[in-house]
Amino acid sequence: MAGSGIGRVWMIAAMVRVMALELWRDRGALIMTFLLPPLVFLIFSSVFAGTTGDNIQLKLAVADLVRTTDSTRLTAALVKSADIRAELVSPATDNEVRRRVKSGQADAGLVIRADPASIGKPFVIIADPSRAVAAPLTQARVQQTLSDALPDVALRRTVVQLTPALGGPSDDQAENADTAAILLRDTPKPDDVGYFDREDVKDVKTGGGVIAYYAGAVMILFALFSAMQGALGLMEERRTGVADRLLAGVAGMGPVVTGKFLFLVAQGLVQALTIFATAQLVYGVAVVQHAMLWLPTTLAASACAAGVALGLVSLCRTRDQAQMLSTFVILVLAAIGGSMVPRFLMPPWLQQVGWFTPHAWVIEAYQAILWRDAGIEAVYKAWGVLVAAGLAGLGLSQVMASRLRR
Amino acid sequence: MTPEPPSKAPILTVGAAVHAYGGKPVLRGVDLTLRPGEIYALLGPNGAGKTTLIRAICGRIRPDGGEVLLNGHDPARVPSARAGLGLVPQEIALYQNLTVAENIETFAALAGTPRAAMAVAVRRALELTRTVDRAHVPVKHLSGGYQRRANIAAAIVHEPSLLILDEPTVGVDIDAREAVDAVIRGLRDLGVAVLMTTHDLDQAGTLADRVGFLREGQMVLEGEPRTLVAQAFGNQMEIMVHLAEEVDTAGEIRLAGEGLERTRRAHIWTRLDADGYAAAGRLDKRLRKVGLTPREIRVREPSLANLFTLVAERKLAA
Repeated sequence: MAGSGIGRVWMIAAMVRVMALELWRDRGALIMTFLLPPLVFLIFSSVFAGTTGDNIQLKLAVADLVRTTDSTRLTAALVKSADIRAELVSPATDNEVRRRVKSGQADAGLVIRADPASIGKPFVIIADPSRAVAAPLTQARVQQTLSDALPDVALRRTVVQLTPALGGPSDDQAENADTAAILLRDTPKPDDVGYFDREDVKDVKTGGGVIAYYAGAVMILFALFSAMQGALGLMEERRTGVADRLLAGVAGMGPVVTGKFLFLVAQGLVQALTIFATAQLVYGVAVVQHAMLWLPTTLAASACAAGVALGLVSLCRTRDQAQMLSTFVILVLAAIGGSMVPRFLMPPWLQQVGWFTPHAWVIEAYQAILWRDAGIEAVYKAWGVLVAAGLAGLGLSQVMASRLRR
Repeated sequence: MTPEPPSKAPILTVGAAVHAYGGKPVLRGVDLTLRPGEIYALLGPNGAGKTTLIRAICGRIRPDGGEVLLNGHDPARVPSARAGLGLVPQEIALYQNLTVAENIETFAALAGTPRAAMAVAVRRALELTRTVDRAHVPVKHLSGGYQRRANIAAAIVHEPSLLILDEPTVGVDIDAREAVDAVIRGLRDLGVAVLMTTHDLDQAGTLADRVGFLREGQMVLEGEPRTLVAQAFGNQMEIMVHLAEEVDTAGEIRLAGEGLERTRRAHIWTRLDADGYAAAGRLDKRLRKVGLTPREIRVREPSLANLFTLVAERKLAA
């Protein structure tokens, strides 16, 4: 039976059982394998969903150096605004604002150095260059607040700005402008001031694209991490003499490697289930509705992770080597492939390099299926790449295991 | 493992095996034959070639010259020949979180045991190694002795005709060693050929039917332990002198003058003498006279350990 097909299947099944029992009886590893991924997914998605939506709330340090009626109205409006977390600094100096921004106590600073209605540039935005998005966002928020809460100031600034071109207003015109300004101040109509109206497109999915992105990103990240831990069992088998025992038998290490591969694929599938179930339940990502494409994508991603992990571990001679190498490779692949930072934020050349990682293929495939409702034509290439990488790793591991005989 | 058949054809034949690693000879014409129901202890210092010889028997390397036949087949060329082989590594080569029975099932499956025969095979392995009462205990919770026996059980579940044990009792206490020895004897009685490597020369002397001394890749001595010892030492007895304290240089010279040699154990010196007890009495008086009062003097028959020392130190012609 040993050499027959059924015999080999029986051997492989025995190895899958060993892996499953070892994991089941190591409760710490079990929790790390199946509870940690959805938890990390929730954290990642919360963080990045927040930074790409409307609800970014900058922390703004404000110093009012002039304390005029209008500047006081502006600071009050900023403090009251739900779009920004403004805080008046004390002492109210530009240096104090700089200090807070530099120390990270505030994302950006605003110094009101002249009356808001005066000509010139009454405001200075103080920003940390490492937080590039903070300055334009602050400017937009302040302008929005000026338009919404101080429309009369904008009108008075406009009158003053037009004077050189049209000549000074007559007494009647000046009186009318003052009356209009007072009216605007007392009963502001924000909708009349801005250039832009806003329309949200209809029939969008409740789950955001960034959620689908991070579900895929976390899935492949943990599939690789867990597969690497499982693959390290190969090292343990060498250390404890299990490999010697098996190499003296008829089967050798072949069924062991194949059994580990199949178990790791199954483990990746269950991990993905926990992550995407969380995505569906918490964020409404339509996973079940796309199950026909989600399942092969997940199997391909898991196969890739299992094969890559086994291949990497097989190249090492000691457990320490394997742990160092696997940690390094996983982190680099995750960084380049988009599991840590969204790929669209990377420079174009790095996005191209990302295609050499499984992460980029996995992330794009899941996004195509779950966010863009794409069909098989959008993902078959990713399946091919992932399965090929997984089989290459498995093949390498089999070759290295057979060389252990010597 | 049915009772030993009447045929005593060799299970293992190693003939003039030669092997080198990177030009350095490791095996230099080793011969070894092992028959059913025989326990053979392979002895030798580290680097003597024991591991290489076992790797060749397991089919993991093909010797550069000579032959290795397991049940008439080359295990390196004919994988199915290895079905008749069970290896017990020096380490506890088991999955620690699995129970004894689960481990045995696993290695039975990996050795090609059919599913239908699994339960019977596992039960038999448990009984032969006397681990039935621990069948459902995870290996990591077993005592050292039980772990050793479970280690053997995983190697015999597929009923091999040759069992190779690498240091089967290293690191276990005397009771556990005796339990392991009993298991090995039981397997021998069933007709299994047992090849073991050990540094425990007492165990080799009491357990093995034959021993072989390997030195620098050559089998320099082989035979029944008692016969080899008798041939090497004749009617000489070993006199062991246990001194109360460490001696100075002058004392060392005086002890050497009495024909005593320092052993590896602290304060113990030894020599061989055909006069045995009478010589020990005279030695005691002379030592006391010069102030080297022995704490104890013992007289015993020479053992494999004495023989091993002679072979390792090249004091005995091959």
